Amino acid sequence: MLEAVEITKRFKQTHAVNGVNLFLERGEIIGLLGPNGAGKSTTISIISTLIPPTSGDVRLNNESVIKRPEKLRKILGVVPQEIALYPDLSARENLLFFGKIYRLSGSQLKQKVEEVLEMIGLTDRQHDLVKNFSGGMKRRLNIGAALLHEPELIIMDEPTVGIDPQSRNYILETVKRLNKEKKMTVLYTSHYMEEVEFLCNRIYIMDKGNILAAGTKEEIKNILSAENTIQITVERVNDSFIQALRDHPVVNRVTVQDRVITVLTPKEANAFSILFKIAEETNTMLTSIEIKTPTLEDVFLHLTGRALRN
Amino acid sequence: MIGVLTAKLRLFIRKPWLFLMVSILSVVFAMLISSVNKQTIVVPVYSALPESEVKEIIRSLEQYNLFSFKRMKKEEVEKLVGEGKAEAGVELKKDDFRIIVASNTPNSYLVQQTVQKVYAKALQSKSIIDQVKEKQGESSAKQVAKSLAEAKNDPVFTVETKHFRADETVIINSKMQSIFGSVLFFVIYTIAYNVFNILMEKRNGIWDRMILSPVKKWEMYTGNLIYSFATGYIQVALIFAVFHFVFDVDFSDKFWFVLVLLIPYVLAIVAISIFIVGIVNNEQQFHAVLPLVSVSMAMLGGAYWPLEIVSSDALLLLSKFVPVTYGMDLLKGAVVYGYSFSDLLYPMSILFLMAVVFMGLGINIMERKRA
Repeated sequence: MLEAVEITKRFKQTHAVNGVNLFLERGEIIGLLGPNGAGKSTTISIISTLIPPTSGDVRLNNESVIKRPEKLRKILGVVPQEIALYPDLSARENLLFFGKIYRLSGSQLKQKVEEVLEMIGLTDRQHDLVKNFSGGMKRRLNIGAALLHEPELIIMDEPTVGIDPQSRNYILETVKRLNKEKKMTVLYTSHYMEEVEFLCNRIYIMDKGNILAAGTKEEIKNILSAENTIQITVERVNDSFIQALRDHPVVNRVTVQDRVITVLTPKEANAFSILFKIAEETNTMLTSIEIKTPTLEDVFLHLTGRALRN
Repeated sequence: MIGVLTAKLRLFIRKPWLFLMVSILSVVFAMLISSVNKQTIVVPVYSALPESEVKEIIRSLEQYNLFSFKRMKKEEVEKLVGEGKAEAGVELKKDDFRIIVASNTPNSYLVQQTVQKVYAKALQSKSIIDQVKEKQGESSAKQVAKSLAEAKNDPVFTVETKHFRADETVIINSKMQSIFGSVLFFVIYTIAYNVFNILMEKRNGIWDRMILSPVKKWEMYTGNLIYSFATGYIQVALIFAVFHFVFDVDFSDKFWFVLVLLIPYVLAIVAISIFIVGIVNNEQQFHAVLPLVSVSMAMLGGAYWPLEIVSSDALLLLSKFVPVTYGMDLLKGAVVYGYSFSDLLYPMSILFLMAVVFMGLGINIMERKRA
């Protein structure tokens, strides 16, 4: 349906996006996962035709939309990361405004506004000013404003940033419902891997303007199939223990977060005995040790050497 | 575009405070400045005459609108003059007066002339009545006194005074200067803050939503600019209407003409605001740049003081590059100098030119920044 072909974007000396390839099939929910500053927002700004790429192309049904974006814009809804609403207007007035700019009018506009208010659960608060809303309610209305013209494809840029878990669940359920009931294709960017794992059929992992990995959840996790992720909790972090781990030939990667040390080792290695031996040699007291099922977070760690939310 | 305008109107109704505040400030400042400018010099007087006679003399003295005369005790008058707090004092007598001065100043001469004029007129009437009384008796004298009083109220001849001036002669009308200056200065804020909303809408993503909608970019800009122009224009027109219809300020029968002349000025300010919004990157920069630009423009353009009193060639040259200069030229030209529409075509064309150039530059910069 939509594909980005080798898109790059340079801002002066900065390479924000570096030859990104990405495609969306009709009815899919695609996740674009990466830490802050990975280039996700720039990528979706290019895909949604808001900014032109330095090179590369965006195609809708094999037709370039860079120079003629009208066809894509007609079927596209975008939920920006910012709360793109008028705080001094009510929820209803905001929706009426965004409906009007999509050339909706009269009873059709009113009906769509009612529908969307119902869908985002704000019917009871429709006459309240947006500035008096909670973060979660603002986020829901931010999504609602992109749904008025019934887009076939919706691009959501971190739609759950800074909200409580309840509102987050509501939003995630709404996205699932839109995909299931309205057959909406969704491109969802986030730096929360659990959201992407919950929602998406396929995932692109992005960092520093590059796509590092792409595929279904299982395919991506299989990147780590040859490795074990072992999480060790120590009583006190001992530098010589960390150094010894890093120097050991069977340890592929070591990351430390507070008292938790994550170690990647080859599956075939007898990791436990090696770890115990190093701990004994460096006088390190272990509190717990466990082999974890790989998560997308681990994959990201494996690919970049950094945690997703660092 | 209608959608954009409707939303702006709704937002205005919900938050009219900036508009109201700036409007009130403009009126207050214009009144304050003009009242300071028109303050008259108080001349202390004392007299041994009865209160009613002194009042009558003071009324005659104040007819010339040059000084305000205030009756005090002799000691107070002498103290004020002695301490230099009053330039001159006057002792009012039945057929004579005495000027009290500490040193001779232009104003003390003027006080003397004014008092002399009033006493000369009074003595002239008295002398006529006395002569009639002496030759024709009391009743004829009363008749003559009555006729003289009637003639004062209903003169036989109407004397029309006309001043002539050369082309280069300047007229300083401090009241109109302060009204026009204050209004043209303050409206910059109303307009600029409305245009500034474009920057805010860009920052919070509303602009992006509109770009992705079927609304055309020219409609987005036009909607915003029409709104900014309309609020600025309505504000200025409203303030002038308050001065004209409520405070009875004389616009020399050119009130409606003045409203037409405001169009190019407001348009130029909208354009400069777009330019400022184009060059700044964030809210903080805008808040720093706007006062800098507006105050400089007001100072250079003669909103704070008349350019007629500026003698520096450098400042006069700089004033040619700010729209306030031409705005003041238009308004003063029409009201104070009585120029016709064709006489004012030059400042109008400059303002239109500024509007086109700054709007073009501003929109261009904004669009380049986007890409």
